[in-house]
Amino acid sequence: MVQETRHQFREDLKELERQALGGLDIVIQQLDRAMESISYQDVELAGMVVADDDRIDGRYLEVHQGILSLLARQAPVATDLRIVAALLHTIRCVERMGDQCVNIAKLVPLSGYEAPKDKGILDAIERMGQLARSQVGQAKDAFATRNVELARDLVRQDAEINRLNREIFRSAVEVGDDVDVREWAMFMILVARCLERVGDNTVDIAEQTVFVVTGLFRELADASTPSGSPTPLNG
Amino acid sequence: MIPPETTSKESDAKMSTAEGRSEQTDATPDRAALGARQGKGHSVLVKDLHAYYGQVHAVKGIDINFSPGEVTAIIGPSGCGKSTMVRCINRMHEEIPGARSEGEVKLDTLDVYDAGVDITAVRRLIGMVFQKPNPFPTMSIFDNVAAGLRLTGSRGDNLRERVHKALRAVGLWGEVKNRLSSAGGGLSGGQQQRLCIARTIAVEPEVILMDEPCSALDPVATLKVEELIDELKQRYTIVIVTHNMQQAGRVADSTVFMLDGEVIEHAPTEKLFTTPDDERTERYVTGKFG
Amino acid sequence: MSTGASPLLPHVSGRRRRTDKIMRGLLAAATVIALIPLVLIIYYLLYKGLKAWSGSFFSTDPNGNFFGDPGGVRSAIFGTLEIVGLATLISIPIGIAVALYLTEYGKDHWFASVVRYFVDVMTGVPSIVFGLFIYIVLVVSHTGGSGFAGWKGALALALLMLPIVIRSAEVVLLLVPNSLREAALALGAPRWRVVWRVVLPTARPGLITGSLLAVARGMGETAPLLFTVSLAFGLTGNLNSQMNTLPVQIFTDITNPRNVIVTRAWGAALTLVALVLILNLVARLIARRSRMA
Repeated sequence: MVQETRHQFREDLKELERQALGGLDIVIQQLDRAMESISYQDVELAGMVVADDDRIDGRYLEVHQGILSLLARQAPVATDLRIVAALLHTIRCVERMGDQCVNIAKLVPLSGYEAPKDKGILDAIERMGQLARSQVGQAKDAFATRNVELARDLVRQDAEINRLNREIFRSAVEVGDDVDVREWAMFMILVARCLERVGDNTVDIAEQTVFVVTGLFRELADASTPSGSPTPLNG
Repeated sequence: MIPPETTSKESDAKMSTAEGRSEQTDATPDRAALGARQGKGHSVLVKDLHAYYGQVHAVKGIDINFSPGEVTAIIGPSGCGKSTMVRCINRMHEEIPGARSEGEVKLDTLDVYDAGVDITAVRRLIGMVFQKPNPFPTMSIFDNVAAGLRLTGSRGDNLRERVHKALRAVGLWGEVKNRLSSAGGGLSGGQQQRLCIARTIAVEPEVILMDEPCSALDPVATLKVEELIDELKQRYTIVIVTHNMQQAGRVADSTVFMLDGEVIEHAPTEKLFTTPDDERTERYVTGKFG
Repeated sequence: MSTGASPLLPHVSGRRRRTDKIMRGLLAAATVIALIPLVLIIYYLLYKGLKAWSGSFFSTDPNGNFFGDPGGVRSAIFGTLEIVGLATLISIPIGIAVALYLTEYGKDHWFASVVRYFVDVMTGVPSIVFGLFIYIVLVVSHTGGSGFAGWKGALALALLMLPIVIRSAEVVLLLVPNSLREAALALGAPRWRVVWRVVLPTARPGLITGSLLAVARGMGETAPLLFTVSLAFGLTGNLNSQMNTLPVQIFTDITNPRNVIVTRAWGAALTLVALVLILNLVARLIARRSRMA
């Protein structure tokens, strides 16, 4: 018979996880808006994204404080300890992803006030945005349900983002002689870079999920690391 | 028969340098006074140990290997048999009326349960510190530390030196050097426990068993004893029973989790507290059951 | 008295107060009733006995002739001291040894329970029975070349004191915390050393007190001495002969028609009580000193 001891501690830990993962929801919102502002050159919307980053920063501080409090007062061990460590890592990823969204939004006014110039590149960018969005969602699900398979699958999807990133770069290089178009394309390269970073962060979260479940920290093999071999931290 | 223990040869040399040292180190355990470890240290191997209180089967077939020169903690819920098991190692368990044990406990290559073994010799080699400090009330501080030597009939004129050395080793020297002849019971709880530890190591055992040594002490005294344990492991193999998991975390190199008279898991402490293998260990250390 | 009673802290009812007072009164009355005989005894002893005390009372033997000075009780005092001394030498070591067996070695054995049972029985045996026992076994058979003899009286007293010593020693030994025995055993001491160097020294104050109380009891017993030592008047150190003792002296003198001799009996009684009192005080002092150490 398993008794329900340390009830308050369990509640606190669950709440902390809810808050950290809730940060991912905010990230999705920010990502959606950032992508929309890119597609329609909506400077106002971009400004909202930048302003709303405060919400993510606030969430980061809340979770960080909650973790410190839990460590100090409850001395978590074993799985609980791994969860706490993973949440600390995850909330940092959330914050970074938020920053990437802000970076994307800041590029909107710089890239001009007219409509986007190249349909091919724009399609690729939008596709990247959708992928990034779905990856964030999947990372959240994988962590919440402790699903190792789902976590590993993120690497596969991330490979697609990386491919799109390279494709956009090539397209931008070959985009033609029009100075305005070239300028716009360069900014799109930067946007693609930000999206690629978002993707990497979701892979980080996936790694944390695997760590919580197995106790092993392995860098999940992905297309951007040449070696792609696992580096166990303990084992 | 277990051969008699060799005495540390550097006691005299270390004595003169230690006594010439300044006062400020008198309160901390003196590593030099501990003496050198004899060889690689002694391992204790428990094999298929069973222990009974009358009909009650308290320890059900335990196998543990205690590595030499390490601190091994035994944790587990109340009544899981950890104290009983430890008391079987120095054969104190059979002092309880109606209690018996069977199995093997090997100190290096010698089985303490062998037919011809002298129990008092076993206990001289495997010392024990108890939960409640128990200095002898009718004896002075000096006599308390010397008690082990006198009670075991050890001859020798270096009694005084051995007593001083033991008191230094536990970091009690500075606090009691001016009142060695006052009663042993007049110290604080933490000091009494360190006095008992000095009494135990004065006999120069090879293994020290500790049965919840800090349970009766306040937090500061507890930390002092833990610091002492850290020093003692340079010289002795230590087994400590504790119900305080944080203490196991602080003090032990490896930890054994026991439940209902059996060993569930035995792993390096860090591993046991970050990624335990067994579900039951996980439940116990995270507090999912008492 | 404040009128600040609240539902949380109600005042004590008048009825409870009255009951309390009545109970206190009853207990005080019972105490007084119990003390009265004691006080009367002491008063009488002092009143009648002090008259007899004098220098010659303590320095001469009751050899006095029929009409003149009856003499003192010197031989009685010495006799009591000698006989009780011998009884102590016999009963205390044996008694403590038996108590050690009961607490240290024989804890589980059925034999220990049997011994304990018999010791309990012995504490209830009337002292005259011990006297009769020694009388039949040793006196009638003229063992040792004499009929009545001091050492036979000492034996009878020893038998009487033995269960008291055993009982009190057992209690004291059981009070020694087991953790001390464990500590000594864990250091690698053989059990006899544990007993000799740890248990006995720790129990010593209690053992001494218990023994002194047994001695005090032995000093006052008359019946065993009547049948084993009988009476003598002169001072003698020969334990193998009849001797004088205080209880027997009192017994003999108290029915004498001469007032002077009756007074002497009271004086002897007072002496006996004084001796017992001194022993008790010494026992208490030892107990207090050991508690403060």
